[in-house]
Amino acid sequence: MAFVRCNEEEIPPGPVYDPTPLALDYPDNFPILDIPSDNPTTVEGVLLGRMLYYDPILHRDSAQACATCHLQALSFSSPGNIIPHINLGWSTAFLWNGKVQGSLEKIMTFESEEFFQTKLSRLERHPDYPGYFFKAFGSEDISYEHIGKALAQFERTLISGSSKYDLYLRPDLPVFLSDEEFLGFDIFFTEKGDCFHCHGGILFTDNLFHNNGLDATPGDGLFEITADPEDIGRYKTPTLRNIELTAPYMHDSRYQTLEEVIDFYSEGLHQSPTVDPLMKNAHQGGIHLTAQEKGYLIAFLKTLTDTVYVNKPELSSPFF
Amino acid sequence: MRKISVLTIGLLFSLLLFSTCKKDPGEGTVELIFEHEVNGQDLVLNEFLYTCEAGYEFSVIRLKYYISNFVLTRDDGTEYRLDKVHYRELGVDATRTLEMPDVPAGTYTSLSFIYGLDQETNVPGGLENTTTNINMEWPMPPGYHYMKFEGKYKIPGTGEVKAYNTHTGPTGGNQNFIQISLPLHGLEIDDNSWDITLVMDLNEWYQNPNTYDFEFFGPMIMENQNAQAALKANGADVFSVESMEVMELSIIC
Ligand code: HEC
Ligand code: HEC
Repeated sequence: MAFVRCNEEEIPPGPVYDPTPLALDYPDNFPILDIPSDNPTTVEGVLLGRMLYYDPILHRDSAQACATCHLQALSFSSPGNIIPHINLGWSTAFLWNGKVQGSLEKIMTFESEEFFQTKLSRLERHPDYPGYFFKAFGSEDISYEHIGKALAQFERTLISGSSKYDLYLRPDLPVFLSDEEFLGFDIFFTEKGDCFHCHGGILFTDNLFHNNGLDATPGDGLFEITADPEDIGRYKTPTLRNIELTAPYMHDSRYQTLEEVIDFYSEGLHQSPTVDPLMKNAHQGGIHLTAQEKGYLIAFLKTLTDTVYVNKPELSSPFF
Repeated sequence: MRKISVLTIGLLFSLLLFSTCKKDPGEGTVELIFEHEVNGQDLVLNEFLYTCEAGYEFSVIRLKYYISNFVLTRDDGTEYRLDKVHYRELGVDATRTLEMPDVPAGTYTSLSFIYGLDQETNVPGGLENTTTNINMEWPMPPGYHYMKFEGKYKIPGTGEVKAYNTHTGPTGGNQNFIQISLPLHGLEIDDNSWDITLVMDLNEWYQNPNTYDFEFFGPMIMENQNAQAALKANGADVFSVESMEVMELSIIC
């Protein structure tokens, strides 16, 4: 990919290392965001991470960029089992089966080094990248660690907190849920639907691993990583923010629509030794909602769509 | 330059001396250690090893809870208070202990605390906005779960497996937190440090005075005040003091 000249002009690579601290802006009701002290967020680091995210140069044979699969318009996912990138700054375990645990720096380093198998020499030989690395990290040394850190800084800016539901929670704004949406909210956040025990809190995920009863003989899930039989069928709880935009659903993309997902939770649960106790009605196949109640629940889930996020210019490709 | 360095070192040295001696004479530290068992047996997760009074074999899968408002009472009636909320999660070592610093010298005869959270704390934003606390969110009235105690039980005869979720908290205008008070024998604080090991017997949630029946109350109890009241009454004696040990004498300057 060729650089657009205006970028080069804005931040010309040069010898001065003077990164500008960037404060991340997120709603007050979000949990405190932990930022590792050895990778503070800076304007230069975020810009570099954003460039790397959108540039196929990161891929071993330039076949794709992160953004080829993680499309902003679809909450940084695309059809398939691609996990969206949204509020990942609060996550500490990554991928459906928890293969990478720890910081955002760690998963981002993994994505570059192991998944994309980035050829560092191509970045080193590039006319501009060494300068951008210098601006961000004070060294033209291009390492997986620095790539991971830059990508992590950019990922931390992928904050979604302006869905209709978020605006509804703000006392200063005249945004209200419709009757249907409110009834769905009530199902979601009470034991009637009991979605909140796993998809709860303001992030709409507990960031833990559960077996939600998809199969009588569940897939391996977290067991693949831990070899603990209790972890069979446990997958990362996905956030339900922007869920309207990220079909198909589940780790194996088995459901095409939200209607199918709700039918599953209502009537389609399977018992298995590791099904989570929080699937309180697994013994009777589900929560048994009426058609009307299913509609309310879906109406509520759609209030989690954040169109500001998927159109935010700062998160889009820096190349055009 | 040289002079300044010597001066600085001298200053540092006296600061160090001063800080070791700063502690009021006679103060001590108490470390509370929170352990768990079932029916006096060691707790082993995920296995149907226990039977409750209502006759179900059950397993324990997860346990998370808050305790707060710690008070040590001296034989003369004076109190040492620690206004802290402690979060305990099985399997997370960092939550195993709570330190009570700067406890004045004296003979203490009881330890009390709230199981759960008091009314002022149990509101949205009442606890620090961390992922852990947000995961304990209780929807109605909005606040936090006091406890999430989760596992499975078997129906006698058929062996059918069902889930139980002993989630406690306020509902219908009832706060449902429990004031716990434990007698202490021989806690002499005097320039020393004590470890007090408290044990929660999980089966006590399901007996004494009420035989708690999973089938009777069903899988959803968060808004069922009868279930909450039964658990509140049973919860009064879930904790006991297993041991008290003097750990070390601090150096007297
Ligand atoms: C070919 C499509 C594709 C490309 C290109 C791609 N990803 Fe992904 N990404 C996926 C899929 C599929 C998953 C879920 C895989 C799994 O969990 O096993 C995923 C998951 C992730 C996750 C985990 C999110 C979570 O919540 O656990 C992160 C982080 C991530 N990708 C970052 C990246 C980065 C950074 C790049 C570029 C270096 C990238 N991805 C490129 C398809 C892709
Ligand atoms: C025990 C925890 C738990 C509960 C309770 C729960 N879920 Fe889930 N949910 C999960 C997990 C784990 C997954 C991912 C499972 C997989 O792919 O194997 C998931 C997946 C989903 C997905 C698909 C997300 C995606 O990106 O593919 C939707 C939608 C969903 N749940 C909605 C709900 C609703 C609505 C409820 C309440 C009726 C609910 N969930 C209750 C844990 C839970």
